[in-house]
Amino acid sequence: MKKLWFCFKKDLVLSFKSWYIYTELLMAFVFIIILLFIVPENFDSTRTIYAYFDLKPAEMNRIDEFINESEDEIILLDSRADVVDILKKEKSSIGMVVSKQYRQLDYEIILQGFENEKLKTLMKTDFLMHFIEETPRYKSIVTTTTLMGNNEKLSDRLNMLPVFLTMNASFMGLFIIASYIFLDKERGTIRALTVTPLSVWQYLLSKVGLLVMSGLVSSFITAIFVAGTKVNYIGLFFLLVTTNIFGSVLGLYIASFFKDMASAMGWMYSVIILLMFPSFSYYMPAFSPLALKLLPSYPMLFAYRELFFEHGNISYVYNVCLMFSILSIIIFLMANKKFKETLTI
Amino acid sequence: MIKVKGLYHSYSNDDKYAVKDANFEIKKGEVFGFLGPSGAGKSTTQGVLTGLLPIQKGEVTIAGYDIRNPKKEMFNLIGVSFEQSNVYDKLTAYENLNFYRKLFDVKTRKPKELLELVGLDHVANKKAGEFSKGMKHRLTFIRSMINNPIIWFLDEPTTGLDPAIASEIKEIIKKEKEKGVTIFLTTHNMYVADELCDRIAFIIDGEIKLIDSPRNLKLKYGKKLVEVEHFENDILKKESLSLIEPKDKARLNDIITAGNIEIMHTKEATLEEIFIKVTGKELK
Repeated sequence: MKKLWFCFKKDLVLSFKSWYIYTELLMAFVFIIILLFIVPENFDSTRTIYAYFDLKPAEMNRIDEFINESEDEIILLDSRADVVDILKKEKSSIGMVVSKQYRQLDYEIILQGFENEKLKTLMKTDFLMHFIEETPRYKSIVTTTTLMGNNEKLSDRLNMLPVFLTMNASFMGLFIIASYIFLDKERGTIRALTVTPLSVWQYLLSKVGLLVMSGLVSSFITAIFVAGTKVNYIGLFFLLVTTNIFGSVLGLYIASFFKDMASAMGWMYSVIILLMFPSFSYYMPAFSPLALKLLPSYPMLFAYRELFFEHGNISYVYNVCLMFSILSIIIFLMANKKFKETLTI
Repeated sequence: MIKVKGLYHSYSNDDKYAVKDANFEIKKGEVFGFLGPSGAGKSTTQGVLTGLLPIQKGEVTIAGYDIRNPKKEMFNLIGVSFEQSNVYDKLTAYENLNFYRKLFDVKTRKPKELLELVGLDHVANKKAGEFSKGMKHRLTFIRSMINNPIIWFLDEPTTGLDPAIASEIKEIIKKEKEKGVTIFLTTHNMYVADELCDRIAFIIDGEIKLIDSPRNLKLKYGKKLVEVEHFENDILKKESLSLIEPKDKARLNDIITAGNIEIMHTKEATLEEIFIKVTGKELK
């Protein structure tokens, strides 16, 4: 264990004398700044409707009522032409013109042109529903039953943290650890270590330790700044340690098959891209095919999310920790075996 | 200390061997030189002997340890100096040595003492990345001595060094030999091999062509000649005379008797000449 410690200390000193550790910390701070100062707590889902009402003042009473009740922001303009002009600048807005034709109200909705049929139908239905609800003796018979045990929702800002922790902390290590190994190979320092009593596993584990440490520091800084006290830090510690180890040993195993970074790059890149796919399920839970659920980043994302819920499922988090611990041991043993054959070739 | 029997190695795992059927034994305290041009298989042989390359075919034992399954203890007994410097550029010379010594389970030498040995003590706290090529080479060289190895592998130990420093390195090697260290030295420099080695092996295209002491090789393959420059009728003449041929011996006697000799020295065959004679190839 003493040799492992000396090796880790050496790697730590080297990392502080190189750029990577500072880059990781810088990236964490950039992410914090973006989340705190650019990304709103919750994304605003209200639309802006630019409207022109060609009605007599007496007929405007009902319109005022409609404006007050609407969840959208309605801005009144003086003519249809004004509506069209402003829509050319405000691409995310829609327009509405209401006029009276033969004792009937005529509603004209002006869209941008890029809206698809589904959206048009949805808007039409929404519009019609508004009138139906006004019908005398109208009664809603819709009942809502929540199937999920915990339907707690994170703010849009907090909801981004699990993705950052999974991708940056857990899987960037995959790429970084491989580059450390290939750098040692290229400089020949690995050859000097191989002719000492240092074991291959000690050499590899010291690199994993370094990646775990840097991942923990950058992730904790991010979590403290963005989530404050709204996170289970003990669970976060264990999940970060186990998932960082998993990402690192996976990187080691992939690297053990290649001579240099150039030849490993394609595989590394493909694996990282593949691991990003479960983010679709994370943001759109309805889209969760089995193929995505089988990827290790899937349980990681959802386990990280549980930590930010006020009443998160902590036993799920620890089960994920246990699973990644077992997988990490198996993959590390495989990487160690392979590296014994290929480390100095 | 080192036994090699029927050693083959192929980088492509086929019959394109970088080393073919190498057989030799090195006794305790012996300096054994591997002499051959670049790409002859010298570093490959050393790579297999030090465990850096896997043994594919043959038998190798180092200090009684089978290199096929080397135990970690074996690496406490050996030291390896590489041709290409491979120290940590971001660490100082002292930090490089201090980290390395902690990897051994035996008594190690103090970094300061080793740095003094090769005149690097004044730059002990300077990053190795700021060193010249020669300084890095010296650092790599002394690093291989840190565990007091009883078997010392030296790959081109004086290549790229200026003559004064190369001479210092050779003196260090001689002192270690006096202590009884067994040395396996690969070089393409015939003078280094001649000066340091008890026995040398000529290796070319992966095959060992012969193994003998430099003295025996010179006696066997060299010509006994004397080169003499002398005045005859006020004209400076230069002659090469055999010490075996009666006619040349008589001529040499006449020149000595005349007493007008300016320069006279024996001319032995160099290892390079013998190498060319034996292998038909030059040492480059």
